[in-house]
Amino acid sequence: MLDFSEIIVHHLADRPLARLGANLHWTKHMTMSGLAFLLSAVVVVQGARSNGKLHTALEAFVTLIREEIVRPALGHDTDTFLPYFLTLFTFIFSMNLLGLVPFGASATGNISVTAALSLLTLLLINGAGIWRHGFFRHFKNLIPHGVPFWVVPLIFAIELMGYFTKCLALCIRLFANMTAGHLVILLFLGLILLFGQANPWTGLFIAPISVGLALGLYALELLVALIQAYVFTMLTAIFVGGALHPEH
Amino acid sequence: MQQLFTPDFGLMIWTVVTFLLLVLILGRYGWRPLIDAIEARERTLREEREAAEKARLEAQRIEAELKAGLAAIDAKAQQVMARAAQEAEALRQKHTAQAQADAKRLLDKARAELEEEKRRLVVELRSEVGRLAIAATEKIVRKTVDEGVQKGAL
Repeated sequence: MLDFSEIIVHHLADRPLARLGANLHWTKHMTMSGLAFLLSAVVVVQGARSNGKLHTALEAFVTLIREEIVRPALGHDTDTFLPYFLTLFTFIFSMNLLGLVPFGASATGNISVTAALSLLTLLLINGAGIWRHGFFRHFKNLIPHGVPFWVVPLIFAIELMGYFTKCLALCIRLFANMTAGHLVILLFLGLILLFGQANPWTGLFIAPISVGLALGLYALELLVALIQAYVFTMLTAIFVGGALHPEH
Repeated sequence: MQQLFTPDFGLMIWTVVTFLLLVLILGRYGWRPLIDAIEARERTLREEREAAEKARLEAQRIEAELKAGLAAIDAKAQQVMARAAQEAEALRQKHTAQAQADAKRLLDKARAELEEEKRRLVVELRSEVGRLAIAATEKIVRKTVDEGVQKGAL
Protein backbone atom coordinates (compact mmCIF):
# COMPACT_ATOMS: atom_id res chain seq x y z
CA MET A 1 0.00 0.00 0.00
CA LEU A 2 1.21 3.49 -0.92
CA ASP A 3 2.16 5.67 2.05
CA PHE A 4 1.68 9.28 0.99
CA SER A 5 3.10 10.79 4.12
CA GLU A 6 6.25 8.78 3.50
CA ILE A 7 6.55 10.28 0.00
CA ILE A 8 5.84 13.80 1.24
CA VAL A 9 8.37 13.61 4.02
CA HIS A 10 10.91 12.10 1.66
CA HIS A 11 10.52 14.98 -0.80
CA LEU A 12 9.83 17.96 1.44
CA ALA A 13 11.49 17.34 4.79
CA ASP A 14 15.14 17.99 5.38
CA ARG A 15 17.50 15.06 5.21
CA PRO A 16 20.87 14.71 6.92
CA LEU A 17 23.66 14.21 4.44
CA ALA A 18 26.65 14.00 6.73
CA ARG A 19 27.24 13.83 10.44
CA LEU A 20 29.10 16.80 11.90
CA GLY A 21 28.73 16.23 15.61
CA ALA A 22 26.69 14.49 18.23
CA ASN A 23 23.48 16.24 17.32
CA LEU A 24 24.61 18.18 14.28
CA HIS A 25 24.22 17.09 10.69
CA TRP A 26 25.01 18.64 7.36
CA THR A 27 21.61 18.54 5.63
CA LYS A 28 20.03 18.86 2.21
CA HIS A 29 18.54 22.28 3.01
CA MET A 30 21.88 23.54 4.28
CA THR A 31 23.31 22.58 0.89
CA MET A 32 20.46 24.33 -0.92
CA SER A 33 20.71 27.57 1.09
CA GLY A 34 24.49 27.41 0.64
CA LEU A 35 23.92 27.13 -3.11
CA ALA A 36 21.48 30.05 -2.95
CA PHE A 37 24.17 32.02 -1.12
CA LEU A 38 26.74 31.22 -3.82
CA LEU A 39 24.29 31.89 -6.66
CA SER A 40 23.26 35.29 -5.24
CA ALA A 41 26.83 36.29 -4.47
CA VAL A 42 28.19 35.30 -7.87
CA VAL A 43 25.34 36.79 -9.91
CA VAL A 44 25.15 40.09 -8.04
CA VAL A 45 28.90 40.70 -7.64
CA GLN A 46 29.52 39.66 -11.24
CA GLY A 47 26.68 41.88 -12.45
CA ALA A 48 27.92 44.84 -10.42
CA ARG A 49 31.38 44.50 -11.96
CA SER A 50 30.31 43.92 -15.54
CA ASN A 51 28.95 46.62 -17.77
CA GLY A 52 26.48 44.56 -19.76
CA LYS A 53 22.89 43.47 -19.64
CA LEU A 54 23.19 41.84 -16.21
CA HIS A 55 24.35 45.16 -14.78
CA THR A 56 21.37 46.94 -16.36
CA ALA A 57 18.96 44.28 -15.09
CA LEU A 58 20.37 44.51 -11.56
CA GLU A 59 20.13 48.29 -11.63
CA ALA A 60 16.48 47.98 -12.61
CA PHE A 61 15.98 45.47 -9.78
CA VAL A 62 17.67 47.73 -7.22
CA THR A 63 15.58 50.69 -8.38
CA LEU A 64 12.38 48.63 -8.18
CA ILE A 65 13.05 47.39 -4.62
CA ARG A 66 14.14 50.86 -3.54
CA GLU A 67 11.19 52.76 -5.00
CA GLU A 68 8.41 50.19 -4.54
CA ILE A 69 9.29 48.56 -1.22
CA VAL A 70 11.91 50.36 0.82
CA ARG A 71 11.30 54.07 0.18
CA PRO A 72 7.52 53.99 0.84
CA ALA A 73 8.19 52.24 4.17
CA LEU A 74 11.44 53.82 5.34
CA GLY A 75 11.47 57.29 3.73
CA HIS A 76 14.76 59.05 4.36
CA ASP A 77 16.26 55.96 6.05
CA THR A 78 16.08 54.12 2.73
CA ASP A 79 19.80 54.29 1.91
CA THR A 80 20.84 52.88 5.29
CA PHE A 81 18.73 49.72 5.05
CA LEU A 82 18.50 49.21 1.29
CA PRO A 83 21.35 46.61 1.04
CA TYR A 84 19.67 44.47 3.73
CA PHE A 85 16.34 44.35 1.87
CA LEU A 86 17.98 43.77 -1.50
CA THR A 87 19.89 40.83 -0.02
CA LEU A 88 16.79 39.52 1.75
CA PHE A 89 14.83 39.46 -1.50
CA THR A 90 17.69 37.94 -3.49
CA PHE A 91 18.40 35.23 -0.92
CA ILE A 92 14.77 34.16 -0.49
CA PHE A 93 14.14 34.29 -4.24
CA SER A 94 17.25 32.19 -4.95
CA MET A 95 16.20 29.59 -2.39
CA ASN A 96 12.66 29.53 -3.80
CA LEU A 97 13.94 29.10 -7.34
CA LEU A 98 16.45 26.39 -6.44
CA GLY A 99 13.50 24.38 -5.15
CA LEU A 100 12.11 24.37 -8.68
CA VAL A 101 15.28 23.04 -10.26
CA PRO A 102 15.27 19.24 -10.83
CA PHE A 103 16.95 17.44 -7.88
CA GLY A 104 16.81 20.69 -5.97
CA ALA A 105 14.86 21.43 -2.79
CA SER A 106 13.28 24.58 -1.40
CA ALA A 107 15.20 25.58 1.69
CA THR A 108 12.40 28.12 2.22
CA GLY A 109 10.04 25.15 2.47
CA ASN A 110 11.79 24.36 5.74
CA ILE A 111 10.34 26.06 8.78
CA SER A 112 13.77 26.41 10.41
CA VAL A 113 15.02 28.51 7.50
CA THR A 114 11.98 30.79 7.47
CA ALA A 115 12.09 30.99 11.27
CA ALA A 116 15.71 32.10 11.13
CA LEU A 117 14.88 34.78 8.56
CA SER A 118 11.90 36.11 10.49
CA LEU A 119 13.95 36.05 13.69
CA LEU A 120 16.38 38.36 11.90
CA THR A 121 13.41 40.53 10.94
CA LEU A 122 12.35 40.68 14.60
CA LEU A 123 15.89 41.65 15.60
CA LEU A 124 16.07 44.25 12.82
CA ILE A 125 12.74 45.83 13.83
CA ASN A 126 13.80 46.25 17.44
CA GLY A 127 17.42 46.98 16.60
CA ALA A 128 16.41 49.77 14.20
CA GLY A 129 13.88 51.18 16.71
CA ILE A 130 16.38 51.18 19.58
CA TRP A 131 19.15 52.58 17.33
CA ARG A 132 16.87 55.45 16.32
CA HIS A 133 14.90 56.22 19.49
CA GLY A 134 16.86 54.62 22.34
CA PHE A 135 15.80 51.59 24.36
CA PHE A 136 12.95 53.11 26.42
CA ARG A 137 11.58 55.42 23.76
CA HIS A 138 11.44 52.49 21.31
CA PHE A 139 9.18 50.48 23.58
CA LYS A 140 7.26 53.56 24.66
CA ASN A 141 6.48 54.11 20.95
CA LEU A 142 4.41 50.93 21.07
CA ILE A 143 1.71 52.82 22.95
CA PRO A 144 -0.32 55.23 20.83
CA HIS A 145 -0.87 58.78 22.07
CA GLY A 146 -4.00 59.63 24.01
CA VAL A 147 -4.60 56.19 25.48
CA PRO A 148 -6.10 56.21 29.00
CA PHE A 149 -3.41 55.22 31.51
CA TRP A 150 -5.25 52.16 32.77
CA VAL A 151 -5.22 50.45 29.34
CA VAL A 152 -1.54 51.22 28.78
CA PRO A 153 -0.28 47.88 30.20
CA LEU A 154 -2.81 45.99 28.09
CA ILE A 155 -1.97 47.86 24.89
CA PHE A 156 1.74 47.47 25.60
CA ALA A 157 1.40 43.71 26.04
CA ILE A 158 -0.71 43.39 22.88
CA GLU A 159 1.62 45.51 20.78
CA LEU A 160 4.69 43.68 22.06
CA MET A 161 3.03 40.39 21.23
CA GLY A 162 2.21 41.93 17.84
CA TYR A 163 5.93 42.04 17.02
CA PHE A 164 6.20 38.33 17.62
CA THR A 165 3.00 37.38 15.82
CA LYS A 166 3.97 39.48 12.81
CA CYS A 167 7.27 37.65 12.58
CA LEU A 168 5.65 34.31 13.23
CA ALA A 169 3.22 35.07 10.40
CA LEU A 170 6.17 35.90 8.11
CA CYS A 171 7.78 32.61 9.02
CA ILE A 172 4.65 30.52 8.48
CA ARG A 173 3.59 32.34 5.31
CA LEU A 174 6.80 31.68 3.43
CA PHE A 175 7.10 28.12 4.71
CA ALA A 176 3.47 27.28 3.94
CA ASN A 177 3.48 28.83 0.48
CA MET A 178 6.60 27.02 -0.62
CA THR A 179 5.54 23.73 0.94
CA ALA A 180 1.97 23.87 -0.35
CA GLY A 181 3.00 24.20 -3.98
CA HIS A 182 5.35 21.24 -3.74
CA LEU A 183 2.75 19.30 -1.84
CA VAL A 184 0.08 19.78 -4.49
CA ILE A 185 2.50 18.84 -7.29
CA LEU A 186 3.41 15.71 -5.35
CA LEU A 187 -0.25 14.86 -4.90
CA PHE A 188 -1.02 15.33 -8.59
CA LEU A 189 1.85 13.06 -9.54
CA GLY A 190 0.91 10.68 -6.72
CA LEU A 191 -2.49 10.23 -8.36
CA ILE A 192 -0.74 8.28 -11.12
CA LEU A 193 0.66 5.80 -8.58
CA LEU A 194 -2.62 5.66 -6.69
CA PHE A 195 -4.65 4.83 -9.79
CA GLY A 196 -1.89 2.63 -11.15
CA GLN A 197 -2.06 0.58 -7.98
CA ALA A 198 -5.69 -0.20 -8.70
CA ASN A 199 -5.21 -0.80 -12.40
CA PRO A 200 -2.07 -0.05 -14.47
CA TRP A 201 -4.19 1.09 -17.44
CA THR A 202 -6.07 3.64 -15.34
CA GLY A 203 -2.73 4.89 -14.07
CA LEU A 204 -1.49 5.29 -17.62
CA PHE A 205 -4.70 7.06 -18.58
CA ILE A 206 -4.52 9.44 -15.65
CA ALA A 207 -0.80 10.22 -16.19
CA PRO A 208 -1.12 12.92 -18.91
CA ILE A 209 -3.77 14.73 -16.88
CA SER A 210 -1.67 14.59 -13.72
CA VAL A 211 1.47 15.74 -15.50
CA GLY A 212 -0.46 18.57 -17.20
CA LEU A 213 -1.87 19.77 -13.89
CA ALA A 214 1.52 19.44 -12.19
CA LEU A 215 3.09 21.46 -15.01
CA GLY A 216 0.49 24.21 -14.60
CA LEU A 217 1.14 24.26 -10.88
CA TYR A 218 4.87 24.39 -11.52
CA ALA A 219 4.33 27.55 -13.59
CA LEU A 220 2.27 28.95 -10.73
CA GLU A 221 5.09 28.09 -8.33
CA LEU A 222 7.47 30.21 -10.40
CA LEU A 223 5.14 33.10 -9.76
CA VAL A 224 4.77 32.21 -6.08
CA ALA A 225 8.56 32.08 -5.71
CA LEU A 226 8.70 35.69 -6.86
CA ILE A 227 5.63 36.88 -4.96
CA GLN A 228 6.64 35.34 -1.63
CA ALA A 229 10.14 36.82 -1.82
CA TYR A 230 8.51 40.18 -2.56
CA VAL A 231 5.95 39.83 0.26
CA PHE A 232 8.53 38.80 2.86
CA THR A 233 10.75 41.74 1.90
CA MET A 234 7.89 44.22 1.76
CA LEU A 235 6.42 43.23 5.13
CA THR A 236 9.85 43.35 6.77
CA ALA A 237 10.31 46.84 5.32
CA ILE A 238 6.92 47.95 6.61
CA PHE A 239 7.62 46.61 10.13
CA VAL A 240 11.05 48.23 10.26
CA GLY A 241 9.55 51.47 8.92
CA GLY A 242 6.93 51.31 11.68
CA ALA A 243 9.64 51.00 14.34
CA LEU A 244 11.68 53.86 12.82
CA HIS A 245 8.75 56.22 12.22
CA PRO A 246 6.10 55.31 14.83
CA GLU A 247 4.23 58.56 14.13
CA HIS A 248 2.99 57.16 10.80
CA MET B 1 4.80 14.57 8.76
CA GLN B 2 6.07 15.64 12.17
CA GLN B 3 9.49 16.15 10.61
CA LEU B 4 8.18 19.07 8.53
CA PHE B 5 7.56 21.11 11.68
CA THR B 6 10.54 20.09 13.79
CA PRO B 7 12.96 22.99 14.20
CA ASP B 8 16.57 22.27 13.40
CA PHE B 9 18.82 24.69 15.29
CA GLY B 10 21.84 23.81 13.21
CA LEU B 11 19.97 24.84 10.06
CA MET B 12 18.69 28.01 11.74
CA ILE B 13 22.19 29.07 12.73
CA TRP B 14 23.48 28.13 9.29
CA THR B 15 20.75 30.24 7.65
CA VAL B 16 21.44 33.24 9.89
CA VAL B 17 25.19 33.02 9.26
CA THR B 18 24.93 32.59 5.48
CA PHE B 19 22.37 35.36 5.20
CA LEU B 20 24.33 37.85 7.30
CA LEU B 21 27.49 36.95 5.38
CA LEU B 22 25.59 37.54 2.15
CA VAL B 23 24.38 40.93 3.46
CA LEU B 24 28.00 41.88 4.20
CA ILE B 25 29.47 40.61 0.95
CA LEU B 26 26.75 41.97 -1.33
CA GLY B 27 26.55 45.19 0.67
CA ARG B 28 30.17 45.90 -0.11
CA TYR B 29 30.84 44.28 -3.50
CA GLY B 30 27.39 43.99 -5.05
CA TRP B 31 24.79 46.54 -4.06
CA ARG B 32 27.15 49.39 -3.22
CA PRO B 33 28.60 49.75 -6.76
CA LEU B 34 25.12 49.29 -8.24
CA ILE B 35 23.53 51.90 -5.95
CA ASP B 36 26.44 54.27 -6.63
CA ALA B 37 25.96 53.83 -10.39
CA ILE B 38 22.22 54.48 -10.08
CA GLU B 39 22.77 57.54 -7.91
CA ALA B 40 25.43 58.90 -10.26
CA ARG B 41 23.04 58.53 -13.18
CA GLU B 42 20.19 60.10 -11.23
CA ARG B 43 22.45 62.98 -10.25
CA THR B 44 23.50 63.49 -13.88
CA LEU B 45 19.88 63.44 -14.98
CA ARG B 46 18.88 65.88 -12.26
CA GLU B 47 21.73 68.22 -13.13
CA GLU B 48 20.87 68.05 -16.81
CA ARG B 49 17.24 68.77 -16.04
CA GLU B 50 18.21 71.71 -13.87
CA ALA B 51 20.57 73.01 -16.57
CA ALA B 52 17.82 72.69 -19.16
CA GLU B 53 15.43 74.52 -16.86
CA LYS B 54 17.99 77.27 -16.32
CA ALA B 55 18.59 77.56 -20.07
CA ARG B 56 14.84 77.77 -20.62
CA LEU B 57 14.50 80.58 -18.08
CA GLU B 58 17.46 82.37 -19.66
CA ALA B 59 15.89 82.04 -23.10
CA GLN B 60 12.63 83.38 -21.70
CA ARG B 61 14.45 86.33 -20.16
CA ILE B 62 16.25 87.08 -23.44
CA GLU B 63 13.00 86.77 -25.34
CA ALA B 64 11.31 89.22 -22.99
CA GLU B 65 14.25 91.58 -23.32
CA LEU B 66 14.13 91.36 -27.11
CA LYS B 67 10.40 91.94 -27.07
CA ALA B 68 10.82 94.99 -24.87
CA GLY B 69 13.59 96.26 -27.17
CA LEU B 70 11.44 95.68 -30.22
CA ALA B 71 8.54 97.50 -28.60
CA ALA B 72 10.80 100.46 -27.79
CA ILE B 73 12.09 100.52 -31.34
CA ASP B 74 8.55 100.31 -32.63
CA ALA B 75 7.45 103.21 -30.45
CA LYS B 76 10.42 105.26 -31.56
CA ALA B 77 9.69 104.50 -35.21
CA GLN B 78 6.08 105.55 -34.68
CA GLN B 79 7.26 108.77 -33.12
CA VAL B 80 9.67 109.48 -35.97
CA MET B 81 7.00 108.70 -38.54
CA ALA B 82 4.52 110.98 -36.81
CA ARG B 83 7.01 113.78 -36.68
CA ALA B 84 7.94 113.29 -40.32
CA ALA B 85 4.28 113.38 -41.29
CA GLN B 86 3.79 116.51 -39.24
CA GLU B 87 6.80 118.17 -40.82
CA ALA B 88 5.66 117.12 -44.28
CA GLU B 89 2.27 118.60 -43.61
CA ALA B 90 3.78 121.84 -42.39
CA LEU B 91 6.03 122.00 -45.43
CA ARG B 92 3.16 121.28 -47.73
CA GLN B 93 1.08 124.00 -46.16
CA LYS B 94 3.97 126.43 -46.39
CA HIS B 95 4.56 125.63 -50.02
CA THR B 96 0.88 125.83 -50.85
CA ALA B 97 0.59 129.24 -49.23
CA GLN B 98 3.64 130.46 -51.04
CA ALA B 99 2.42 129.13 -54.36
CA GLN B 100 -0.93 130.74 -53.83
CA ALA B 101 0.74 134.00 -52.93
CA ASP B 102 2.95 133.79 -56.00
CA ALA B 103 0.02 133.07 -58.24
CA LYS B 104 -1.91 135.94 -56.77
CA ARG B 105 1.03 138.26 -57.21
CA LEU B 106 1.41 137.20 -60.85
CA LEU B 107 -2.28 137.60 -61.43
CA ASP B 108 -2.34 141.04 -59.86
CA LYS B 109 0.62 142.06 -61.90
CA ALA B 110 -0.97 140.84 -65.10
CA ARG B 111 -4.18 142.53 -64.20
CA ALA B 112 -2.40 145.83 -63.47
CA GLU B 113 -0.54 145.59 -66.72
CA LEU B 114 -3.74 144.95 -68.58
CA GLU B 115 -5.37 147.90 -66.89
CA GLU B 116 -2.46 150.12 -67.79
CA GLU B 117 -2.59 148.99 -71.39
CA LYS B 118 -6.29 149.61 -71.52
CA ARG B 119 -5.91 153.10 -70.16
CA ARG B 120 -3.14 153.83 -72.62
CA LEU B 121 -5.26 152.52 -75.45
CA VAL B 122 -8.23 154.60 -74.36
CA VAL B 123 -6.10 157.74 -74.25
CA GLU B 124 -4.62 156.92 -77.58
CA LEU B 125 -8.01 156.21 -79.05
CA ARG B 126 -9.41 159.34 -77.59
CA SER B 127 -6.63 161.47 -79.06
CA GLU B 128 -6.95 159.66 -82.35
CA VAL B 129 -10.69 160.22 -82.39
CA GLY B 130 -10.16 163.88 -81.56
CA ARG B 131 -7.61 164.21 -84.27
CA LEU B 132 -9.88 162.48 -86.76
CA ALA B 133 -12.76 164.67 -85.73
CA ILE B 134 -10.69 167.79 -86.17
CA ALA B 135 -9.48 166.57 -89.50
CA ALA B 136 -12.94 165.75 -90.63
CA THR B 137 -14.26 169.03 -89.39
CA GLU B 138 -11.49 170.86 -91.15
CA LYS B 139 -12.22 169.00 -94.33
CA ILE B 140 -15.90 169.69 -94.13
CA VAL B 141 -15.37 173.23 -93.15
CA ARG B 142 -12.87 173.76 -95.85
CA LYS B 143 -15.18 172.20 -98.38
CA THR B 144 -18.16 174.20 -97.32
CA VAL B 145 -16.24 177.35 -96.99
CA ASP B 146 -14.59 176.87 -100.28
CA GLU B 147 -17.78 176.16 -102.10
CA GLY B 148 -19.66 178.99 -100.42
CA VAL B 149 -16.84 181.39 -100.86
CA GLN B 150 -16.35 180.45 -104.38
CA LYS B 151 -20.03 180.52 -105.04
CA GLY B 152 -20.34 183.81 -103.35
CA ALA B 153 -17.42 185.07 -105.07
CA LEU B 154 -18.84 184.00 -108.25
